[in-house]
Amino acid sequence: MDNVKTGIVSAACRLPEHRRSAMELFQEEGLNLTSEVAARLGVEQVPICNGQSGSDLAVAASLRCLENAAVPGSEVDVVVDYTILPQEWMVPVWNMSGKVQKEVGAEKAFTVGFSGGGSTNFLVALNYTAAMLEVDDKMKYALLVGADVTIPGNRVLNPESPVSVMGDGASAMLLQRGAPGRLVLGTEILSDGANHDIYYIPGGCLANPEDPKLYRMVLDKQRYDAAPKTATMLQLAKDVLDRAGLKLGDVKYVVYPNISVEDQEAFRTAFGLRPDQICTSNLATHGHMQGNDLVLNYLSLSANGELQAGDYVLICSHGMGFMAGASLIRI
Amino acid sequence: MFAKIGILEAAYYLPPTRKPLADVFRDEQQDETPLAANVDFQRDIGIEAVHVAGEESASSVALNACKKVIEKAKVDPRDIDLIVGFTSIPEDYIAPTWSAAGYVQKELGATHAFATAINTGGCASYQQTLKSVCSLMSTNDRLNLALLFAGDKVPALNHNYYPITVVCDGGGAVLLKKNHDRNLILSVEVITAGKLHDVWWVPGFPHRNPDKPEDHSWMHVAGDIKRFNTELIPINLLMFRKVIRGALQRAGKKPADVKYYVYPTFSSWDQKAFCRAFTIPPEKMFTAGLQRHGHLQETDMVIDYVDARDEGYIHPGDLVMLTTNGAGFSWGAALVQH
Repeated sequence: MDNVKTGIVSAACRLPEHRRSAMELFQEEGLNLTSEVAARLGVEQVPICNGQSGSDLAVAASLRCLENAAVPGSEVDVVVDYTILPQEWMVPVWNMSGKVQKEVGAEKAFTVGFSGGGSTNFLVALNYTAAMLEVDDKMKYALLVGADVTIPGNRVLNPESPVSVMGDGASAMLLQRGAPGRLVLGTEILSDGANHDIYYIPGGCLANPEDPKLYRMVLDKQRYDAAPKTATMLQLAKDVLDRAGLKLGDVKYVVYPNISVEDQEAFRTAFGLRPDQICTSNLATHGHMQGNDLVLNYLSLSANGELQAGDYVLICSHGMGFMAGASLIRI
Repeated sequence: MFAKIGILEAAYYLPPTRKPLADVFRDEQQDETPLAANVDFQRDIGIEAVHVAGEESASSVALNACKKVIEKAKVDPRDIDLIVGFTSIPEDYIAPTWSAAGYVQKELGATHAFATAINTGGCASYQQTLKSVCSLMSTNDRLNLALLFAGDKVPALNHNYYPITVVCDGGGAVLLKKNHDRNLILSVEVITAGKLHDVWWVPGFPHRNPDKPEDHSWMHVAGDIKRFNTELIPINLLMFRKVIRGALQRAGKKPADVKYYVYPTFSSWDQKAFCRAFTIPPEKMFTAGLQRHGHLQETDMVIDYVDARDEGYIHPGDLVMLTTNGAGFSWGAALVQH
C-alpha cells in the first residue's frame, strides 16, 4: 500500500426551481403546522420536482461537478450512487448510476450503488470509494452522486409528531486519488441491526405489494427517540479523530444533515460546538434531502470562504438511528 | 493492490420446494420475440427445475445462507466487522431505502459490524462487492472479517427471464478474512456499459395498475429485447474479454494459468458460447448447476464455486476465475488463488 490519500476535487448540487412552503405541504397532507412544530422543525420551504426525474437532476449535478473541476467525464473511473429514496425504476435491478455514466460520458467507468442508512449512505459511499481509489493506482477519479425525490404526499416525516420536512434534490462530488487537498483522512461507521426498519418504506415491494397506504417513508419515532444517536456519532467522531492523532477541539467545522432545528441543536450540544462551527442555514430553505444535505452544507461552507488549508472538517450523520458515521476531512 | 484477503468459507441455501421447468413455462407468459441465436428457448435451455421460496421471505433465504456459512467457518458473529448485501433483485422492502443487511446483522447478533448493501451490477454485483470490500479491508487495519451475502426471491410468476434464462430462488454467503492463507482474492476487474442501463429493469410500484392490486407484474423484470439482441449481444464477449484480461494483468497472470472457471448458469447455449470464445474445455468450467437449479442471479458465483470446490473440481493451488455479466449492464471478473 503506497498510502496515497483521496481528496475532494469539486462538488455540486442541482435543486428543482419549484418550491413549496412547509405550511402548504402540511395542509396538503391534512396536518396542522403549529408554531411549536414550526419552531422545532425550522423548515420554511423545500425544493420540489415539478416533472423532473431524480436521475435528470443527478446528471445535471454531475455535469456541473465535473465542469467545476475541469475534468472530462471520460476520465471518471467509477460512478457511485448514494441515493436513499426510490428511483424511477426499481433498485437494484436498475440504478441511475448507469444513466449518469452514459450522460457524462464516463465510458471507461464502472458503477456502484449503496443502500440503507439514510444520510449516512453518503458517508458509506465516501468511505468505500476513498478505499477503492487508495488501493488502485489505475484509478484516479470517482464521481459520487445522489438524487432523492420524495414520494408524493409523503413530505412530512412522521405526521403524528413531525420530525422533518423532505425536499427534492441531487448532488455530486468528485474524488481524486492523490488530490492536493481536502483529503479524506478516515471514516468510521457503525450500524445497529435492531433498527434496520426504523426508517423505511413498508410497502411496494415483496413484503407488502398491494396496499398503497404502505408505499411511504415511515419513521418509528419511539425507536428513533430511544436510539443513542448523538452518543454514537460522538464516539465515532472521537475514533476517527483519534486515528488521525486529533481531538474534537482540533475540528474547525462540522457538516451535518438538515433534519430539524431540534436535531441540529441536539447534535451541536453533544459535540460542544459553537453555532458558527456548523452550517445550519440550508435547513429553512431546503428541508431534508437525505445524503444530499451533506454535500449542500459542505458547498455552503466552501462558498462562504470559511474553509482554509489545513482546517479539519468532520462530516457526521446518525442515519436515523440505524447507521451512524463520521468522516474526517483535512482542507 | 489488495491486502492478503481470502475466502474463509462460502455456503448457499436453496428452498426445498422445486418447480419443474415445464410447470414454469405452463404458468408464465413468454415474449415471442425470436432469439438472436438459432435456439429454441424452452427446448434448449438445459434446466430441469428451479427452487421456489414459497412462503419464505427473501430475507430469510439470505439469513439461512449466512447462518450456514457462519456455522461452517465456526466464527463468532460478534467478530464480523462488515456485512455487505449484494442481492441484485428487489428484496422484502424497497431499495435503496432499505437492504436486508441490517436485518441479517440483527438476526446474527453481529453487533460490532456495519451493514450496508451494494445495489448495482445485476448478476455481477458479487464482483463489485468483492472489489469494494477488499479495498476497504485493505485500507483499514481494524476490518478483518467480512460477511457478503445475497438472498433472491422472485415474484411467484416471474421465473422465466426470456430470452436469457429461468431463475431459481436461493441465497449465498461468503466470509472474507484478512491474512487468511488460502483462497486469496488476487484481483477484481469490473466494467459497466451505462448506455445499456435501460435494457433491463423492473418498473416498480408507481407503475402498477391501481385497479388490479393482485397484478404484481410491476415487480417483474422487463427487457428491451430488440436492444438486448442488437446492442448487448454484440459486445458481450468483448466485455468479458476486457474484464478477464484486466483481472489477469492486475495479478500478473496469463490465461493459461487459470485452472478453473466459475461462470453463470444462464443457459446451455450461453455456456457453450463462452467456452468456445475463450477456448475453455468443458471440464475446466462448472456447468452442472445449470441442470440442477438454473440461474440464481448474483448467487451463481457462490453456489457454483461451492459446488465446484466440494465436488473436487478445484484443488489447492488452483487459480480460479469467477466471471459474469449482469444488468446495468456490468461485467466482472475475480481471480482467486486456492
